[in-house]
Amino acid sequence: MAKESFDKEIQFLRMLVLTSGAYSRQQFAERLGISVHTFDKTLKKLKEVATTLQEQPPEAQAQGFTDALRFNYYESADPLLLFLFQAKSLKESESLRISRILAALNGGQELAIKDLLDICCCGLDPENTFPDEKTIRGDLKYLQEVGAIVRGAGPRPYRYRLNNDLVKQLTGEELMDLFDFVDIMANTQLPSVQGYLLRNSLKKELLRQDAEKQAIEPFLYKYHYYSRILDEAHLSTLLAAIKSRSKVQFLYFSPKADTSYAAKSTNPLFERESGGRPETALPLKIVYDHQYGRWYLLTHSKHMGIRKYRMEGMTQIEEGEAVTEELFLAEQSALEQQIATSWLIDTGRPVTVRAKFLNPQRSGSARNFVKERVLLQGQWGVITEEDLHFFIYEITVNGTTEIKPWLRSFGSSCEVLAPRQLRQELIAEWKEMLDYYEPF
Amino acid sequence: MNPFEKIFNYRILSRMEDSGVFLSTSHERSWLKLMLDHPSAAAAFSGVTLDKLQTLLEGEAPLNLAEDLIHKASTAEVQVYHPLVRVLRRSIQHHQGIQVSIGPNNGHPGPEQSGLPYRLEYSMVKREWYLLWYSWTRRDFMSIRLKKITSVCEVPAAPELVRTTQAEIHRILESRRQSAVIEVLPNYNRELSRILYAFSCFEKEVRYDEDKDTYYISLFYLGNEGEYVLSKMRFLGKRVRIVEGNWLKKRMRESALKALALYGASPDQTLTRQE
Repeated sequence: MAKESFDKEIQFLRMLVLTSGAYSRQQFAERLGISVHTFDKTLKKLKEVATTLQEQPPEAQAQGFTDALRFNYYESADPLLLFLFQAKSLKESESLRISRILAALNGGQELAIKDLLDICCCGLDPENTFPDEKTIRGDLKYLQEVGAIVRGAGPRPYRYRLNNDLVKQLTGEELMDLFDFVDIMANTQLPSVQGYLLRNSLKKELLRQDAEKQAIEPFLYKYHYYSRILDEAHLSTLLAAIKSRSKVQFLYFSPKADTSYAAKSTNPLFERESGGRPETALPLKIVYDHQYGRWYLLTHSKHMGIRKYRMEGMTQIEEGEAVTEELFLAEQSALEQQIATSWLIDTGRPVTVRAKFLNPQRSGSARNFVKERVLLQGQWGVITEEDLHFFIYEITVNGTTEIKPWLRSFGSSCEVLAPRQLRQELIAEWKEMLDYYEPF
Repeated sequence: MNPFEKIFNYRILSRMEDSGVFLSTSHERSWLKLMLDHPSAAAAFSGVTLDKLQTLLEGEAPLNLAEDLIHKASTAEVQVYHPLVRVLRRSIQHHQGIQVSIGPNNGHPGPEQSGLPYRLEYSMVKREWYLLWYSWTRRDFMSIRLKKITSVCEVPAAPELVRTTQAEIHRILESRRQSAVIEVLPNYNRELSRILYAFSCFEKEVRYDEDKDTYYISLFYLGNEGEYVLSKMRFLGKRVRIVEGNWLKKRMRESALKALALYGASPDQTLTRQE
């Protein structure tokens, strides 16, 4: 079977989450570059995954899918989009078999293939063919590879047990500390998906141990870009390519284009003119932009030099040929130099920005929010001059485009002094924004 | 490290839940191993537990991505864990009341207060922990930085008091809910994805008017978050405009006027005028 790609599901969920309810079926499908039929099929599949995983009362499930995915700050402690990563297709018989094996190994004793074969053959729907020893051996090999089970120390025939030491060896209190740590780290650090998966298993374990099911999710994360985990789907492929110094091929949809996904034209029913463009490049670095919660891939290609891609626009990613270590290191260090002074990823000419920040008028020892924020978010910029009423912040960055929104977000607490052009641009923008509210 | 593994298939997971199996893979354990290297691990566990975890994870392959994955434009990571997190999460869990001493504000130490803890909130913008709680002393629902708490102890709370306080918290949260409607100027529709990303950290709804080819974003937020909404609006600049929400509109207008006044004079003149 060809490797299952989740491009369509990822694009689908992204659009659903970002535009939450803005489009009709038809409009939605058009923008994704798929047929309405494919739209319905994708929605059905995702719904099935989501409802199987959620223990919701029937009335909640009857709610629209969009509603269920709507972010509700005080109610939704579980990562909303995690089910994407649980959507891998599996034959019913295989899923049943693997579940039986794991449940059998949960008893605490080590079991051999023969024991497991017996367990898998009893009680199965008689219409299903019974698994043979080879199939079970294959399953055990897989489960061992992913680390779900371990082989005991004894001689042949080998015996296996569940790899659940993490919960078996911890006390209830320790387990709660672990849940908290995993929850906090998955939400505040990158990557998150593995952490969220672990969080889910720990949560279920805690609920099993404490039947009272009291509030075990006391944490909230304010202004969190929860949809960032969708792009983590590509992370492992791209990190692996970087590690092996290999190029990647992919179909790129610029997020500025109207269509964000196109069905592969192998099926004439869904054939459409593809809006994407095929790209080949050597991946060098992955960048996470905290301002928007977006991911970028920075690459090098022979003819184009440094190229930057938004990860959300990348589909059908495949690893290509490897380059020499020498070439990779040379390109990577060239890139590192170029982005050393980029606010985000701009590799343009460095320019020194000087801005004057006005301290809030305050009494006593009240906090200086402006300065606190500049110190926390101003990256490598420094305060060069300070007074009771203001301070001057200076930073050398590649181009002014990327830093401008941040400076502007301070409103009338920030006056750009240099460069002159940035100053002029901001004046023009404030005039335009004033016009928006003029008749008010 | 591919997250799409068949072991995570939803049917398997759902069956594991039914049969009470704790399933963990080397993917997750490698991730945990990486996270335990973070300085905050020392605050999250007792020394004994941390040792135990490190021993349990000894055999796992380390997840090494530090140099390939870089962060840009993030707020400096002031604090990921706070020692009070462990204490307060248990009070929340057990529906216990707390008595809190708050550090000095304007030079005066705050009075002791008692109340019911509701949630611990981490701000991704300030990178700091806050306690959301209802103070019985002040009779109000409040947010307080953990940093400001000098001491805390549990006090028993009758179940009836817990119930009424919880109801009061929900009532207050509901009453503080506000909404605003933001229009994306159609000229900037090509930047829609970026704009929607910027608002994806809010509760929101998007409406698309096909005739005008215009998008409207309805934001829902609590009253005290208005300042953050404004800073997002200024961040996005002329791409977006508030169409509903009088207080926000007024503030945006003020910002623009004040900013223009600032720029209207040369830097020296501005300085003189301020003083």
